[in-house]
Amino acid sequence: MAGVSVTFTVNGREVTATVDPRTLLVHFLREHLKLTGTHIGCDTSQCGACTVHLDGRPAKSCALLAVQLEGAEVTTIEGVAGPDGMHPMQAAFKEHHGLQCGFCTPGMVMMGIDIANRHEAPDEATIRRELEGNLCRCTGYHNIVASIAAGASSMRG
Amino acid sequence: MYPFTYHRPASLDDAKARLSASEDGRPLAGGMSLLPTMRFRLTSCADLVDLNGIEALAGIERGDGHVRIGAMTRHAAVVESPEVGEAIPALAALAGSIGDVQVRNRGTIGGSICFADPAADYPAGLLGLGATVNTDRRAIAADDFFTGLYETALEDGEIVVSVDFPVPARAGWAKFGNQASRFAVVAVMVSLSGGSVRLAVTGARSHVFRVPEMEQALAGDFSAEAMDGIAVSSEGLNEDLHADKDYRAHLIGVMAKRAVRDALAQ
Amino acid sequence: MYVGQAIRRREDERFLRGRGRFVEDITLDQPIAHAAFVRSPHAHAAVTHVDTAQAAAMPGVLAVLTGADWTAAGHGEAEGVWPVKDMSGADSRTAYRPLICVDGVVRCVGEIVAMVVAEDRHQALDAAEAIEVAYEEKPANTITAGALDPDIPLVHPAFGTNEVMVTEHGLKEETEAALANAHHVTEVVVPTNRVTAASMEPRAYLGHYDRVNDRYTVWTTNQAPHIVRRYFTKSLHIPEHKLRVIAPDVGGGFGMKLYHYPEEGLVLWGAIVCDRPVRWVGTRSECLLGDTHARDHHTVGRMGFDENGKILGVKFETLAAFGAYESQWQASITNAYHFTMLSLAYDIPAIHTQVRAVYTNATPVDAYRGAGRPEAVYQVERMIENGAQEMGIDPLELRARNLIPPEKFPYQTALGITYDSGDPPVLMGKIKALADYDALRAEQARLRAEGQWMGIGISAFFDMAGAGPVKMMNDLGAKVGCYDVASVRVHPDGRITVFAGSHSHGQGHETTWSQIAADRLGCDIDHIDLVEGDTDRVPMGIGTWGSRSLSTAGMAVYTAADRVVAKAKRMAAHMMECAPEDLDLADGEFTVKGTDRKLSFAAVANASYHSGDRPSDLEIGLEETSFFDPADCTYPSAIHLCVVLVDPETCAVTLRNYWAVDDVGTVINPMVLHGQVHGGLVQGIGQALMEECAYDAESGQYLSGTFMDYAIPHAEDVPSFGLDAHFTRALGNPLGAKGAGESGTIGAPACICNGVIDALWHLGVRQITQPMTPKKIWRAIEDAKRTQH
Repeated sequence: MAGVSVTFTVNGREVTATVDPRTLLVHFLREHLKLTGTHIGCDTSQCGACTVHLDGRPAKSCALLAVQLEGAEVTTIEGVAGPDGMHPMQAAFKEHHGLQCGFCTPGMVMMGIDIANRHEAPDEATIRRELEGNLCRCTGYHNIVASIAAGASSMRG
Repeated sequence: MYPFTYHRPASLDDAKARLSASEDGRPLAGGMSLLPTMRFRLTSCADLVDLNGIEALAGIERGDGHVRIGAMTRHAAVVESPEVGEAIPALAALAGSIGDVQVRNRGTIGGSICFADPAADYPAGLLGLGATVNTDRRAIAADDFFTGLYETALEDGEIVVSVDFPVPARAGWAKFGNQASRFAVVAVMVSLSGGSVRLAVTGARSHVFRVPEMEQALAGDFSAEAMDGIAVSSEGLNEDLHADKDYRAHLIGVMAKRAVRDALAQ
Repeated sequence: MYVGQAIRRREDERFLRGRGRFVEDITLDQPIAHAAFVRSPHAHAAVTHVDTAQAAAMPGVLAVLTGADWTAAGHGEAEGVWPVKDMSGADSRTAYRPLICVDGVVRCVGEIVAMVVAEDRHQALDAAEAIEVAYEEKPANTITAGALDPDIPLVHPAFGTNEVMVTEHGLKEETEAALANAHHVTEVVVPTNRVTAASMEPRAYLGHYDRVNDRYTVWTTNQAPHIVRRYFTKSLHIPEHKLRVIAPDVGGGFGMKLYHYPEEGLVLWGAIVCDRPVRWVGTRSECLLGDTHARDHHTVGRMGFDENGKILGVKFETLAAFGAYESQWQASITNAYHFTMLSLAYDIPAIHTQVRAVYTNATPVDAYRGAGRPEAVYQVERMIENGAQEMGIDPLELRARNLIPPEKFPYQTALGITYDSGDPPVLMGKIKALADYDALRAEQARLRAEGQWMGIGISAFFDMAGAGPVKMMNDLGAKVGCYDVASVRVHPDGRITVFAGSHSHGQGHETTWSQIAADRLGCDIDHIDLVEGDTDRVPMGIGTWGSRSLSTAGMAVYTAADRVVAKAKRMAAHMMECAPEDLDLADGEFTVKGTDRKLSFAAVANASYHSGDRPSDLEIGLEETSFFDPADCTYPSAIHLCVVLVDPETCAVTLRNYWAVDDVGTVINPMVLHGQVHGGLVQGIGQALMEECAYDAESGQYLSGTFMDYAIPHAEDVPSFGLDAHFTRALGNPLGAKGAGESGTIGAPACICNGVIDALWHLGVRQITQPMTPKKIWRAIEDAKRTQH
């Protein structure tokens, strides 16, 4: 199958590649760009471990073809903070023990940042509802909810 | 995934040309159902024609007595649309109950109705609100659009362009999702327009359907209590891990009442 | 002191920045080939023909391998580590899970028939599809309850039965007498549903063979890398010293990642055959089918009470599913972890249990967080709940009357296990206050009058955690020694590397082991690094499972650190011209007691490696290893209480409140402890309300193959939790710590199910099988209506 050329921006850097059209965005990020923080936890778009921001909104990178990204802007977990220090949402997850095995964590952080972007001061019910597309099997969500509430608060400054 | 040739047309005419030139072409809308199905190798095509670059297919406008939603309009745009929120808040509620935040950011109304999943939400929205599907060649009433399990009235290569929703006097939405995928076990859209009532159920059969006994009862008295004593037969209803047919029949009664209460609360 | 403090986790930043390193993330100098598998679509079938010719000729294909190739290569099987004997003394009827079908019969859906190794994943899948396999279907049974019925198809006809073994434990005659003389007897059928761990990271393996140096390496999603080496001595016959097993970051395991799965052996075989590194990363659907399943007990229980609600005796008969084959640790559940714990937190004079293990045409069952104890607590607690309701005694009051009083500790149960320490009445008092129990009962009555269905659930239990001592576990059947290992290496600059045989897959050992070591070594926690998960770097290890890491590996860290301090003190004493016992070590400095004379730990470390001026009998270097065999298991205890609301229309359950009071002995890090409890609770809630590995009874097809059908709790399904604690010291280890990893999962299913039954008791509902889904609750209410009219 002929490769298709695609150019888009990942974490602020322009990327051009020729890819097999079957390549999912998540595989492109992980295997071509070596951005392995975005994970694959299911095959039906249920778990949210592959969540990235696409043009500023969260999307599941396992349900997108890389070739569809022409001209788009993608941010992954590797791109939310500078080289030093962590994004306030990342810091909140550490402070509030919002992770255990760390596998769902990048997706949770990406979703947490989006929740904070869209809600002034999200309460517990809002955060739980907004996490309908992200599964965690370690934390029981208790501390993820606390982390996102705190992260949203520090993002507001 | 099986191999395919990827097409990125910039216009509807370009998309139509590419689809008609292909022996086995398929349009790609949001891809929220199609891509996982292709990933499982449950479906394939020779040519995948991506509609995401066709700007004319997306957008929401308020017309005379109706709201027109472009086929490539994302669910999130419907949720956030002031036009929809003001004219048909139940439709915004329906869009807001599809999938999850990430899915709503990509999934489209056109993709949803063309895929015609038996538990998808939009089919109930179209049928319950009496919508019309506009394609590149004709207009199809919702009553005629959904024809079976994953089947619609669309012909080969026919592309959905937009959906027109008449603005009802009242409409209500109620959904009972399953514990795993959150897809509807049973969901109901009900609407009242000038004394006539439409009530559509999704999730319970091979495809969306109306319940005439309930519609008649509601036409006389648009209240939840008007449906007391109307039992929906379990005959022909779906059975799966989440619900057997008897429980589904019971849920249709419960969700119909909740949809009516939702309509009356607006 | 670091122990006892909520130190923030030192491992977090790499995960938060997307720099975790899981098996799927590993890169090598050589390109890595991909494996794909052909799996049986049938629950039971003869494999009459396998044609690989077309697949082998396809682009990118490096090898196509079948069971015939496996047999021709002389490879073996995945031998169990916990064999048990039937109560008659005979060996159990054991058939281990094959890595690939070798005898021409597949016995469950998903069993591997062939493997393809190809350059990329698409080529591997294309070729796997091109392999032609002819099957001749045989009758199958996936239902545990009927496995021993006449005319049920046999999974292994050579045994002449589906029974693996029968075991009985406890006081048979006393129990029969107690039930015969009881004022009230409660009988309930209490099956425990088949579930699976569903860790968010799917299983994945990467195999590599270095032909020049004759060294093998496997990267694996496993909780016990040293045990993986042992498995390979039986499957691929690789000597332990030739194999390096690396478990990098592991994304959750919960017991399920403890086994020698077919794909683990097969990727290394593929790497040897192809002379290329080979990787397989499981899809969620492959994992929901092929990961070990868990629980699946069919149990009938009878419990006798006196007129005051005092429990006189309890008797259980259980059919315990093994699935199609015996997985490596399976027999430990029925024969160590289930029967031993049936007394829970109660003083029950007579208990008797019979377990018949059975084969069915389903995925093999093995340990998953709790392993046998969630079943035990569910079985006993459902009896107690129904008994209290039937006798009209407040369920919490009836439990309080039966709790083991503190003066009875150490308490020997009717099953012969001795709980070393605990105080259940204190836990009961705390949870009653925490939940404001009396107010809840008043609210329940008020809501019921308004037609709202509110239920209050309770469970109280002990856990047997911290597998060890070696002798005790050997006696219960273990062929692996249940100790663990740590080395403490002080570098010449005084900084420290700790090597441990445990393997954190979410538990946070980099933080907690460092807290223990820093306290013992009197140093800054930031001067310590931890190494786990690599058999070439860590001397030995038994791994992280069964809430054992702290009381085995954690104590090995503790004792190895103490040995380092003892040796360092001798060197320091020599340098400071005093006696070792005159020295204190704190804040990185040795101080001569009662003086201001100080010498830095770093200076002593440097001298230990580089100075010729040392005591003549003191060996150079500063590194100690401890193989720690605990004096006893640990026996954590807890009481849970929840409030559920059942929607009278949809029958959906809302879990409104959940409280737990735990006794886990000394706490190393309360933040980590709470995290463990939270996570365990939600897995237990999932078992009670939604999770089920379901098979179609007719066809034996697996119905729960994706997250579209296998429901695990979402954030919206659960509340935040109210936790409290009370501490009694464990007697079997120097820190007095008890295991804490499984408490939530063990107690929650019983607690939730009791709550739902409590909500519906007035409607005539007496039992609903787990999971208590809306569909089943609606049906139970309908049935109760019919029975009453």
